[in-house]
This record gives sequence, structure tokens and C-alpha cells, in this order.
Amino acid sequence: MKIVRYHQPAASALAPLYGYAGRNPVVAFEREFDRLFNNALGEMFTLAPELAPNRAGGFAVDLYEDKDNTYVRAELPGVDRKDINVEMVDDYLTISGSRKAFGADGKETEAVEFSRSITIPESVQADKIAAAYENGVLTVTLPKREEAKPRKISVEVK
Amino acid sequence: MSLFNTLLSSRNRTQSESAETPAAPAVTPRYEIKENADAFGLEVWLPGVAKDGLELTIHEGELTIVGRRAWKKPEGWTQLYRETPLADFSLTLAHDNTFDADKVVAELRDGVLRVTLPKAEALKPRKIAVA
Repeated sequence: MKIVRYHQPAASALAPLYGYAGRNPVVAFEREFDRLFNNALGEMFTLAPELAPNRAGGFAVDLYEDKDNTYVRAELPGVDRKDINVEMVDDYLTISGSRKAFGADGKETEAVEFSRSITIPESVQADKIAAAYENGVLTVTLPKREEAKPRKISVEVK
Repeated sequence: MSLFNTLLSSRNRTQSESAETPAAPAVTPRYEIKENADAFGLEVWLPGVAKDGLELTIHEGELTIVGRRAWKKPEGWTQLYRETPLADFSLTLAHDNTFDADKVVAELRDGVLRVTLPKAEALKPRKIAVA
């Protein structure tokens, strides 16, 4: 017979607070239900799983415009500025790069690559694109071409 | 929560929750827990959160992180497409007090929060000399 020492699973030291929810059994049940539901069926409702935010290789993107520029904001937390590539080819803006991951001992492990292409609805002055990275969010400013800007045309009514 | 809410209206569900906490809508950030001999490491992705929008609280048995987005849509910008949630980040983890709460170090850099939770002395493996 062998006596194997029982090891407390390390995860119990810091565990997500599922089902606890302030000792209210109704809330606890709802949270637990949500968790099971998301675990089992969450993927089914994601149209393009490779583009879903928070997956390796995918990240969330927002698109804005004002009268002079189109803006793309991408959530890229924890990426070195020099590891981010922004490219504009035809109507597609491609944001790619790699994120360094760190193990428990603080040593670098294998970097994770990410890439995404976004169609830009307006034609862009490709040579004047600017990008800024702050708080883990990349903002790309794409100046619109003159002919793409909204114009006010007065029409004379005869 | 989000998926469940899209299928079943959240209106009739929020009441039981608001009785406990006036819960603002919040999303759970992506996080990772690591462990080595000396400490637990917690890495939380909080894109768009600046230092002054971050709250880290350690209670008895509970560690809470709340991150508020620093960025607001400037005047004149029109939203064409959006994937990022508007809600703030909120993460609550239960713990069993096995780390030294006075020596916790947290660093927020480029939207990633790294928390080092040094293990309590009592928990570390000790070598005992046999006389």
C-alpha cells in the first residue's frame, strides 16, 4: 500500500467567486447558471470565434469617425510599442504584432502572435496615418481624403 | 451573464441583485493566476484603464479589482462599429488568506495589472534540521 500525501489544489488560494454572491441563494443560482451556460454554449453564439476578443490572436476593435478622420481603437494590453505593426493596404488596415508572456518566475515564455484586418469605409491618405498607444489601447488616426470628406453643396433652385 | 441576458431579458433579473449591491454593469476582465515558491501572481488585462481609475481591495477572504475606463469618446466622433464593452471591469476572487496582505505589490503598465501576493511565512516549505 502506498500513502500519497494530499496536496491542496493551488487554485483554491485564489478562486473566482462563483456562486457566492453575497449569500443570496437566488443571485448565487443565477451566477452559477450563467457560468454553466456560458461554458457550455458560449462558443456557439460567437459568429467568428477567431475574431472574438480575449482569444489568442484576436482582439476587440472599435471604429469611429469625425469629419476629417477615421479612428480605429484596438485593445492590446501589455504589448511593447515596438512589437506593434500597423499596415494599410488598399482599404484594409492590418494591426499585427506579438505579446510577450511571462511565466510565474517572471521569465519570458513564448510570445503570442496576434493579427487583425479591418476594412476602412472611407478612402484614406495612407501617408498620413498616425498611431498612439496608451493604457493598452492603440488608437490609429486615418485622415480622410479630400474627396471623401462631407461637402456642402448649395443648389440653386430655379 | 452577458449571454444569458441577451436571451432572457435582464429587467426581471436585476432586482434580486440590486437588493444586495447597487450593481453597476461590469465585465469580468481576462486574468491569469500563477504560483511559484514565494508568491502568487495575478495578471489582469484591463485595457483602457489608467492608474487613477483602478481600485484594488483586499478584504478578509476576498480580493476585488475594479477598473474604470479612462477614455471618453471626444466630441464630434461618431461610432461606426464597436466591440469593446462600455462597462467597467470588475473582478472578485475568493482567497483563503494564505498571502501576506501587507506585502502585496501591484503594478499597472500598458493596460495590464500585475499583482504579486507573497505567500505567508507559515505556508512556505521549511526545512527542519534533524538533531
